[in-house]
Amino acid sequence: MFGTDGISKAFGGAKALSNVSFQVTPGDIHCLAGENGSGKSTLIKIMSGVETPDSGTIILGEERLKSLTPREAVAKGVQVIFQDFSLIPNLSVAENIALSTDLLEKRKFVNPARNREVAAKALDLIGVDLDLDATVQSIPVSSKQLVAIARALNQGVKLLFMDEATTALTRKEIDQLFSVVRSLKEKGVATVFVSHKLDEVQEIAESITILRNGVVTAEGPIADFDRKAISLAMTGLDVTEVRLAPEVPSDTATVLEVSNISSKGRFKNVSFSVKAGEILGITGLLGSGRNEIAEALFGMTAIESGEVSVKGTPIALKGPRSAVSAGIGYVPQDRLTQGLFLNQSIRRNVMASAIERFLGAAGFIKGAEINDTVNTWVTDLKIKTDNPDNPATSLSGGNQQRVVLAKWLAMSPSVLILNGPTVGVDIGSKREILEIIRDKALEGMAIVIVSDDIPEIVQIAHRVLVVHQGEVSAELTDTAITESSLYKELAA
Amino acid sequence: MKDISRDLTRRLLSDRKLTQLIVVALIVFLAFSILVPDLFLTPRNFVSMAFQIPEIALLALGVMLAMLTAGIDLSVVSMSNLAALSTAYLLVTQVTDGGGNVYLWIVIAIVIGIVVGLISGLANGAIIAGVGVTPILATLATLTLYNGIAVGIRNGQSIIGLPPEFTAIGNGSFLGIPIPMIILLVAGAGVALYINKTGLGMQSVLVGANQEAATYSAIGVKKVLLMTYTLSGGLSALAGLIIASRSASANPDYGSSYVLLAIVIVVLGGVNPYGGFGTVTGVILATAVLQMVSSGFNALRFSQFFYQLAQGFVLIAVMILNTYVDKRRMRAKKDKAPKES
Amino acid sequence: MSYITPLSKRKGLQLFGSPNEIFLIIAIAVLSLVIGFTNSVFFSIATPFDLLRSSLIEILFALGLLIVLVSGGIDISFPIVGIFAGYTTVVIMLNLGLDTYSLWIPLVLAAIVGAILGSVNALLIAGFGLPTLIATLGTTGMFRGFLLSYIGSVYIANIPLGLDEFSTADLISIQTGSGTLARLHVLVIPVLILAIAIAFMMRRTMFGRTIFAIGGNEESARRMGMNVRWTKARIYMLVGALSGVAGILYISLQRKADPYDLAGTELEIIAAVVLGGASIMGGYGTVTGTILGVLLINLIKDNLILLGIPGSWQRAAIGLMLLIGVMSQAIADKRRAKQATVIEEDAS
Repeated sequence: MFGTDGISKAFGGAKALSNVSFQVTPGDIHCLAGENGSGKSTLIKIMSGVETPDSGTIILGEERLKSLTPREAVAKGVQVIFQDFSLIPNLSVAENIALSTDLLEKRKFVNPARNREVAAKALDLIGVDLDLDATVQSIPVSSKQLVAIARALNQGVKLLFMDEATTALTRKEIDQLFSVVRSLKEKGVATVFVSHKLDEVQEIAESITILRNGVVTAEGPIADFDRKAISLAMTGLDVTEVRLAPEVPSDTATVLEVSNISSKGRFKNVSFSVKAGEILGITGLLGSGRNEIAEALFGMTAIESGEVSVKGTPIALKGPRSAVSAGIGYVPQDRLTQGLFLNQSIRRNVMASAIERFLGAAGFIKGAEINDTVNTWVTDLKIKTDNPDNPATSLSGGNQQRVVLAKWLAMSPSVLILNGPTVGVDIGSKREILEIIRDKALEGMAIVIVSDDIPEIVQIAHRVLVVHQGEVSAELTDTAITESSLYKELAA
Repeated sequence: MKDISRDLTRRLLSDRKLTQLIVVALIVFLAFSILVPDLFLTPRNFVSMAFQIPEIALLALGVMLAMLTAGIDLSVVSMSNLAALSTAYLLVTQVTDGGGNVYLWIVIAIVIGIVVGLISGLANGAIIAGVGVTPILATLATLTLYNGIAVGIRNGQSIIGLPPEFTAIGNGSFLGIPIPMIILLVAGAGVALYINKTGLGMQSVLVGANQEAATYSAIGVKKVLLMTYTLSGGLSALAGLIIASRSASANPDYGSSYVLLAIVIVVLGGVNPYGGFGTVTGVILATAVLQMVSSGFNALRFSQFFYQLAQGFVLIAVMILNTYVDKRRMRAKKDKAPKES
Repeated sequence: MSYITPLSKRKGLQLFGSPNEIFLIIAIAVLSLVIGFTNSVFFSIATPFDLLRSSLIEILFALGLLIVLVSGGIDISFPIVGIFAGYTTVVIMLNLGLDTYSLWIPLVLAAIVGAILGSVNALLIAGFGLPTLIATLGTTGMFRGFLLSYIGSVYIANIPLGLDEFSTADLISIQTGSGTLARLHVLVIPVLILAIAIAFMMRRTMFGRTIFAIGGNEESARRMGMNVRWTKARIYMLVGALSGVAGILYISLQRKADPYDLAGTELEIIAAVVLGGASIMGGYGTVTGTILGVLLINLIKDNLILLGIPGSWQRAAIGLMLLIGVMSQAIADKRRAKQATVIEEDAS
């Protein structure tokens, strides 16, 4: 049996976990659910030895431990597969799987043939066939994940944590992953899915533990829970999915018109339009092309055919600057690497894009004006900071996302495209950010939200496009936008 | 007047790195004053330092600009020599004794020198931003190329015998301040203004902080890099002209040890080699510190090789210190509440 | 599943598996023809022999640099480590009266001195975690300053006999038709053996695979249980020893110990290794490619005269060539990265 008994952990006064107990038996497929800020990643860190609990015990088989080192955790069979998989990109699949045991056995020499054998055996155990000599960077994300699982198996894993495992997978790949997890089950390995994607969780998990604010709010066999119950336990709110977005009059002008755009290998014949004040949701599985469409509309990748016009004028998209001069803004997917300048001040982050709008003679910045603008936006978006000259790293995820939003709102775009705007944001901020987006729409901005967060899309969008393998496969409007109808379209 | 000085003092002291540097400067000053007062604490020595600081500080400012964008410019010395040679060549061939148009030719020669610097810097920028070669490799290659061109056009020989009207610039003073120092202060102020008050300047800091985010923020990264390296070329040319003026000669291989010195200065001056932070004040102050060390060593009869040893040592010591200070700051942050878990 | 065909799937000749190496071989061949047709003196057995002789020391340095580059770092101190170790060895041998015919003593001595210097780099990079360019820039200054201040700045013409005589130790010496003596130096053999040993180390030992892993993703390597710090330390000590050996051999072939030598040669070697296919980002590089890179650069450098470029412009020509080399590598890298992001349509 694996798990914890009464674990508590605090970081400098803030309690991350309070008296958390949960259990998994060998062969269990368990789900650890919770929103951002619930404490689930702290729990994983404690179980894998990266953090030590302040009190309570860690249960690993027969042992009850007060603390653990990462090496001990691996030796006792606990492994975590994070979203980056921790693989070596320039080494082969076989080496990634087999080298870890070579290390354990303290081998000095590496035998490619033996490595291939070891790797093939591990992959066999999960019923997967991969090119053993391919370098890890050349294989798709889903295969990388399988390599990581095979490696864990090779190291004798007994308890496997998978952190947000399905984020980067297509439907087919998710199916494959789930069948692999089932074969892990047969081998007696306990798998814990750490996730907040309720639909997938319900499909594969057998039991569930739900955390909220560091406390276990519910647990038990999955059959005992329906979507609403899980959601309630996770968020504490009775999220009855009230639509946020009020109606848009049909005679409003079209702001963004996309006609038949294609980009080889990314998307094909995509057409849609967005009116002023409208919020268009674009969703689809990863790899469906939804990301690619968003980035292409911002000029990050080339559109090979078709036309894009803003406010009636066709535009040539050649890089982000052309998009911005046409009035398009883009809040990117990865806040930390693409959206923010972490070690720069909040003020600088907010004005990063607008600098060029505030230039006076000889390229000098109009300091007072730009500061006023920054202060306005910091207040408007309720960015919680005592000093806008603090670095962006001092903010929480939700506030960081507001900084990125502020940066784009300061540009007064006609069209604002947001890619995954509430990923990694706590519950409270999530709602507020969506409300900010709705407010901007009410002011006349045309908004496109690309997201795989179905509840969020249902809440906010006037219309929804479902993208499938690079093409628009469905368009839902009004009352047709419900979670079940969207899930049906996605699975089609 | 009082307000300005109070403001300046407050700003200087609020920057922790700058405070540390001031402390270091004071320590170095005191150390050499105590050890060799009769050679170090003379007005002559300080005037001599005031003449020598500008050329190196200008080179260091060029490197700083590149480092702000998370890059580096190793070709500053070669660009400086090339510019110096161009100016010297023009002066030596066009200026005949005592002709009335000496000053005209000096102006033209100076302009040509600066243009040579700007063009070589622009070429660096094009290779880095346009072709996409990493700054280390690109400027290592151009350093050889520019040096090679400087050697080739004069068959390896130096140019000597520059007209006294020109050398007066490098060796003269105005209102008691050496002219090269005035040039440095003006150029330094210009660079500071560029970084803090112009659009491109602020964008270069952002590019250095996170190039990907800069692209996603619709910042013209290529434009910024081109400007950065062009300016570095211009600053190097200024340095070269001052060198030529002071020594009345231009030499294709002058100052080969200055690259290490420039980087020591830049790191000591608080510039972050990973990009995103640096101040002109820090760089100039750091140059002064190293110049004091050089003159102090001279007074103590240490060889120039020992000076090189000291430079390497200082560079490494400062980097280690920075690493430890950062590590301690990171640890302090970790103990506070994590943002999301 | 949709993905691009990985390079590793190309089952070509095992020795020359990479397209980059094939390109280098073609470049060398084409260039040789061009030079030869410009000046037929080139077509003599003396040419490859001379080319090898002038390349051998650089190959030793380049192999050391290759290891560092694969681990994701860069080292510009290796020429200084080389001359420091070599010069110090000569000074020690002369002062202790070890003026022997032995070749082993100076080699071992130089390797030890080189390893000690390398361990300084190891301490800074593996121990303190300093960025490699600046750390080695600092040690270059320190080592050079130390050498010239404390060990000697004097040119030594009378190097120990064993080293001196080694410079004319030829494996083959043939009288060519045009009257010159074509000499293939015996150093070819140990260098070849060393190259093979290093290639084996990189591909078939845990140490070597760890080096690749660190260059690929240092954090993942650490999580996998690899001892990253210790491996990095060993890398710099090994490269130090290798550079030391290269340095003493250089002194031998030059028949003089000049402490001002070798400074400034790092660019050529870096360019050779980069041209040979090693990525400055780390994780990639081969021994074969490195050797070919050195040969190509020396081929051009040694024959500039034959191509009609006057002496004073040679440095510029080399600089230009290096620039073209690194630019073409950058363009090739860009193209490779672009190909990786286009996903092929799923057949189903």
